[in-house]
Amino acid sequence: MKKILIVDDDPIIRNLLEQILEPFAEKDIEILIAENGLVALDIIKEKQPELIFLDVMMPKMNGFEVCQKIKNNPTDKIPYIIMLTAKGQETDKEKAKASGADCYITKPFNINDLLNKVSEILQVNLN
Amino acid sequence: MSKLFKKTLIMIVILFMIIAFTIAISTGWNLYNDLLQEYKSKGTAIAKSIASSSIETLLNRDASTIQAMIDRFLEISGVSYIFVVDANGEIISHTFVPTIPEEISKIKNDKPKDTYVKEIVFENMGIFIDITSPILEGIAGYVHVGMDKSNIIAQIKSAMLRQLLLISLIFIFSIIIAYMLVNKVSQPLNALTDYAKKLTLHDFSSPVDIKSDDEIGLLANTMKSMATDLHEVFDRYEQAINDAIVELQNTLAYLTAVIDNMADGLLVTDTDGVITHVNPALSHMFNMRESDFIGRDCRSIFGDKFAEIVEKSITNSEEIFTTEIELAQKRIGKAVATGIHKDTIQSDEKGIGAVILIRDITSEKEVDRMKTDFISTVSHELRTPLTAVKGFTEIIKKRLEDDIFPNVTTDNKRVLKSILRIRDNINIILSEGERLTALINDVLDISKLEAGRIDWKLENVRPADAIEQAIIATSALFEQKKLPLIKDIDENLPEIICDKDRIIQVIINLLSNAVKFTDSGSVTCRAQKLEDSILVSISDTGTGISETEKDHVFEKFRQAGDTLTDKPTGTGLGLSICRQIIEHYGGTIWVESELGKGSTFYFTLPLKNINDVSDISKITYNNIEKEYK
Repeated sequence: MKKILIVDDDPIIRNLLEQILEPFAEKDIEILIAENGLVALDIIKEKQPELIFLDVMMPKMNGFEVCQKIKNNPTDKIPYIIMLTAKGQETDKEKAKASGADCYITKPFNINDLLNKVSEILQVNLN
Repeated sequence: MSKLFKKTLIMIVILFMIIAFTIAISTGWNLYNDLLQEYKSKGTAIAKSIASSSIETLLNRDASTIQAMIDRFLEISGVSYIFVVDANGEIISHTFVPTIPEEISKIKNDKPKDTYVKEIVFENMGIFIDITSPILEGIAGYVHVGMDKSNIIAQIKSAMLRQLLLISLIFIFSIIIAYMLVNKVSQPLNALTDYAKKLTLHDFSSPVDIKSDDEIGLLANTMKSMATDLHEVFDRYEQAINDAIVELQNTLAYLTAVIDNMADGLLVTDTDGVITHVNPALSHMFNMRESDFIGRDCRSIFGDKFAEIVEKSITNSEEIFTTEIELAQKRIGKAVATGIHKDTIQSDEKGIGAVILIRDITSEKEVDRMKTDFISTVSHELRTPLTAVKGFTEIIKKRLEDDIFPNVTTDNKRVLKSILRIRDNINIILSEGERLTALINDVLDISKLEAGRIDWKLENVRPADAIEQAIIATSALFEQKKLPLIKDIDENLPEIICDKDRIIQVIINLLSNAVKFTDSGSVTCRAQKLEDSILVSISDTGTGISETEKDHVFEKFRQAGDTLTDKPTGTGLGLSICRQIIEHYGGTIWVESELGKGSTFYFTLPLKNINDVSDISKITYNNIEKEYK
């Protein structure tokens, strides 16, 4: 079973993403939730999700650090990471790239774009 | 003794000597002739007298009588000797003591017919005038009378001496009188000379005591009045000069006070960039003493960037140059350099130096940084709820459209109307959400542009690629409105060095504007190479912009049309951002438009100099004026 992990400290955004990704949940894809980077790393170790939505601005450990940790972790499966940030600054894009993120989406995002992207990555046809 | 007198005295003495000697000689000569004549006639008389009275005695051969007679005549002054010879030339008697000189033998045999005078020289005795008188026509003998010529010479000598002495005495006396006279004339002249000397030393108060009414007195009076006039003139000038000096000192003190009390640091260099003046504020800014600056090259203290703006401002009178500079205690200053040019100097000549103002902008920088931080925080804080609003609205819309509305099976008109309204309202929420997102993005962009906080990437960009990417990004808009896009792009456009994303941003902005304001017709995108730049234009056949609006479209929060009555469909920041980006690269952006017929937006990007867009900003005076307004 494929898994998607949502990492965000904001419960509303977590909720939103969960609802957006509902069509995938209906297709037997597990949606996992983590409210911070440390929890996320534990979940990743345990569940090894295929796709991770990673917020940048988080307390304790920011998205870049989490991303770096994931990418440097020699687990057998390396997940696809989509960074989510409110900041549209060039430096953030560069940082995201440098920390190993595969994709970078600025809030607020377009739901259809997001859904298309996910189905492309997970090879799941929603229609 | 006056110099004048000394000079003339030598001449006078020489002249006097010539005259005195001439007179003495001529007198001596006359005296000599007179005495000679007198001696001759005296001698002749004596000789004749002896001759006439001695005839008998001679005939009697009475020598002693003759001797007595001649001895008597010897007492007469001038007579030196007398001797008598008989007809045979034998000396009968004579007055020679003790012996007859040898030279007598030469003349004792002379037998003149009449009285005869001749000169004879006796060795050891001198020159004599010998007068021979025959006795009884020479039959009885001859009488010789010798007159001493040296007597004459002695007399002449003494006479001449006396005369010279007398003349000399008269001369000395006259000299003394002349000296006194000259002195009397030269004394006031000397006094006047001294007076004039004092005048040249600007001593106008010294008295001159000449009261005579001759020319010298007149001269003295003239000089006195001249001195008074001069004194007045000098006084007036001195006063004027003093006034001017005081005024100058005041002005200088004023200027110095102004410069010294300036809050900004002031620094002046000569044309070689050597520091000639700094004010206390500047010394304080760098925590150095004034003496640490003066005479040093500004490059050695402030670095290359600073020296560069100084150099540029010296050679360029039209522009001023700015740069940031590190101050003491990690503070930041902004240096503004202006060339100092005299009005008379031609613009292409080098000026006389540069004046640099340095302002501590640490707090401004801090405020700026805080502003930027604030904006990014705000934008972050806005984006997160906006994401939720937008996201949930979309989900609601999806759920309504997918699950709710299809299952509403009622004929209640009210319900059906509500469904239409809800659909409408949700779409409005979504489009306004989009607009809010765009606005936040634009505000963030413009605040970064204005704060200079954009990291401009420098990469080789093919203009055609940038245009193509912008067209792809806006293709959805064209499809929505079913508008055709006509491309007319020169295939041989040269590469430019700039930030590709920014250029794409500009083109997207212009293209989406064109679509937004055009309902029918087409949009045309052209690109061509000009002499030293690339010209891109985007034309539409839309509503167009009125003349009055045209000047304002590049201003912030300005859109064509009335924002109160027309429904705003953009952020009002797009063109302002475009202008900032294009001007950053030294290009220009402008619009040509006719109301109702469409608009064409143009922008140029220079091919050269894009590399030059460094942190040394060039500001023209016009721009500064704008800034201050």
